[in-house]
Amino acid sequence: MLTLKTSLITLVVGMIVGYLGQRSRFCTISGVRDFYLLRDPYRLKGFIGVLIGGIIGFAAVNFFGGTLQSFLHPGSIEFMPLLSDGFNMEPIILVALSLFGAFGMAYFSVMAEGCPFRQHVIAGEGRISGMFYLAGLICGVLFFDIVLVPLLQVISMF
Amino acid sequence: MVEEVATKSNEKPKEKKKFKINLKDNMALITGLTMGVLAAVVQGFFDVQPPAGAGICAVSHPANLINWIVNQVFHTDYTIHSIFVTVPVLTSLGFVIGSFIAAMINKEFKIRKGPVRDNVLAFILGFMVIVFGLMWGSCPIRTAVLASYGMVFAYVVLGAIVLGVIAACEYIKWKVRR
Repeated sequence: MLTLKTSLITLVVGMIVGYLGQRSRFCTISGVRDFYLLRDPYRLKGFIGVLIGGIIGFAAVNFFGGTLQSFLHPGSIEFMPLLSDGFNMEPIILVALSLFGAFGMAYFSVMAEGCPFRQHVIAGEGRISGMFYLAGLICGVLFFDIVLVPLLQVISMF
Repeated sequence: MVEEVATKSNEKPKEKKKFKINLKDNMALITGLTMGVLAAVVQGFFDVQPPAGAGICAVSHPANLINWIVNQVFHTDYTIHSIFVTVPVLTSLGFVIGSFIAAMINKEFKIRKGPVRDNVLAFILGFMVIVFGLMWGSCPIRTAVLASYGMVFAYVVLGAIVLGVIAACEYIKWKVRR
């Protein structure tokens, strides 16, 4: 029952956010891009809103008795949100890999005219390139699992 | 004469300014705030954790879902975030359904081309974004959420994301100038 609840809650949250994302044209990458190129702050306000909303949510959840992992204590600095927990790498390599990954994700997202969330939304609107993007995303995940993770493991041995 | 008119106009009683938030102009901000709060609420009250900050993500959640399906079908053991090992995470499906409902309600749903002109290029870009995104493990939304929970390195990664956007913009500008 608990497992069904977890799946359902993620679906409902996704639907709420997807609905709002379609109405507002929310996009994190385009927010930075629009502000850099056109000095248009509309979408950038959304990106900053996530930061502010996160702080409000974090405070509210802790206030009402919920539990969230905080990073404001010693030892929490080692946390990395990598999907593959099995990367046995030196922390400095992980840091470099993460920064390189974030840079590349942002670079190619500008070329795709939207962040991964925005691409989900435009696919739902009926945009064909968004649907092809999602197909590429699925293949990318499989490529990462099958090719890149073992490759990085081998490289990390040296 | 001109001065008299000017002074008279200045003497008009000032109307009290009404504090009014323009919803249309701040819709993206409202969406962002809702995302931040929902991500925390989902984790804090509905136990969608660990890992930290994984309430909403457009990179790790689709990856978790795909890995979960592949693991179920082919009995592989590709890595999945601990909370989603036994259950599929349906956030990314929710994004698409929510957007579809919004587009249908507002009569904006239409199968049409774009925004990337070439569909093959869109496929390649999706591939590249997820491969690079999985190296960090989060989309920009989750990175912002992690930053708001006090993760210092997430701020550094946000800096890398901004740098990536600037580099792409400069490349586009250079290409247009040529």
